[in-house]
Amino acid sequence: MDTFTSLLLGFISIVLINNLVFTKFLGTCPYLGVSGRLDMAFGMGLAVTFVVTMAGLLTWMIDHLVLIKLHLEITRYVCYIIVIAGAVQLVEMYLRKFFPPLYESFGIFLPLITTNCVILGMCLFLNLWGIDNIVEAVVLSMGSGIGFTMAICIMAGIRENLVFAEAPKALQGAPITLITAGILTLAFMGFSGMIR
Amino acid sequence: MEIILLSNLFVESLPAGITLFVLGLGFAIILLIASQKLRVEVDPKIEQVHQALPKIDCGACGFAGCSSYAKAVVAEPKLLGKCAPGGTACAAKIAEILNLQFAGSGLPLRPIVHCRAHTADRTYIGRYTGIESCTSATAIPGVMMCKFGCLGFGDCVDACKFDALHIINGLATVDYEKCTGCTACSKACPRNLIKMVPLAGGNVIVVACSSQETGKDTRAMCRVGCIACKLCTKQSDVFSMNGNVAVVDYNKYSPGEAFEAAYNKCPTGVIVYRGKNAPADRVPAEKAAAG
Repeated sequence: MDTFTSLLLGFISIVLINNLVFTKFLGTCPYLGVSGRLDMAFGMGLAVTFVVTMAGLLTWMIDHLVLIKLHLEITRYVCYIIVIAGAVQLVEMYLRKFFPPLYESFGIFLPLITTNCVILGMCLFLNLWGIDNIVEAVVLSMGSGIGFTMAICIMAGIRENLVFAEAPKALQGAPITLITAGILTLAFMGFSGMIR
Repeated sequence: MEIILLSNLFVESLPAGITLFVLGLGFAIILLIASQKLRVEVDPKIEQVHQALPKIDCGACGFAGCSSYAKAVVAEPKLLGKCAPGGTACAAKIAEILNLQFAGSGLPLRPIVHCRAHTADRTYIGRYTGIESCTSATAIPGVMMCKFGCLGFGDCVDACKFDALHIINGLATVDYEKCTGCTACSKACPRNLIKMVPLAGGNVIVVACSSQETGKDTRAMCRVGCIACKLCTKQSDVFSMNGNVAVVDYNKYSPGEAFEAAYNKCPTGVIVYRGKNAPADRVPAEKAAAG
């Protein structure tokens, strides 16, 4: 299998088949918290994609160029968290400067990208899956971000229409959202096993 | 031996420390540059208003914290005066910053517990051994004979961020030296015993009971309850009846007025003073026996 095919397969795999939100249940907090409106969900997805791509690249570099050479694997978590927090701060400043309405509407969820498990999870998966190629690391990180964007946008699209649905009183609001999330996950389980 | 081990530990952990330090420093520098390049001009008034606020983030104004209230009040001057802990002084300061006229009632609101029964004054019919919380205890009938009184499990104490509330002998007691008037306790009380009252002149007079039972029933279950005898309403028109309990109308209330007559006439001693240096509650037994 040549490099390009394996990269493409890895990308499709992380977006559709091993989507971190649907199969690993990571990043559920913004997935349910910011998926009320499609435009906000898309913005959140882009912010997460940016952060996870940057964090994936940087952590892979730090891991392979510094930590493994100095036998400091034990500090992996701390280093990763520093990188992620720094990247989120950058995104926050950028959004505040250029997209103030988006910044306002994200509220607390923007700094909370720091604790978004998709990001730390992806950085750790890169290590766990033994990715030893920087291009592949970047492609996979970006794919996980795009997968998250896709998941949160599908969810937001459904929820925008769900507002008009006549759900039973006991299920209105959060319960019907959680049921929707479950069914959505179930649907995406149909892809499982196609690649990897 | 120990010293050698410690120094070994230090030497071995040095690379980790240096790596993390360099990493942190690198990000600090990047963020510093970014914060300079991406600086956003905020209205300096917002920062000034934030400085004038007490900055305790109590949430009494209905906003997430002092900074979001500052932002809201600059945008919407109508919201002036929502800061309970800051009170009038704070509102006046904000009005000055925003170039507004502030005319509001000058008195800070403070929580008053409308119950004065300690454990010894009450009647219990069973022993409650469930979750130690007023919210769950009040859901069970018959934990305490009185359906209206303070349960003393301290939901309000948990709600208080300022260590200003304590359960003393089974009764929630406010420490007015520490209280900021943030209203958290009045929201926490499942029996709505804690009401916010303008604390005029340091001490206010309070009918410290909420029982809507008839006088006979109240007396049967509590030594210090309001028995709806209406004696106080005859002494001063500040007092009025709300069902079977006397209440003080704080709109008519002025601190200079003498309430000694009503205070002394009350057969169960339920009329008490509350405030920073309130006199001790009257001992009820003397009159209760006579009446």
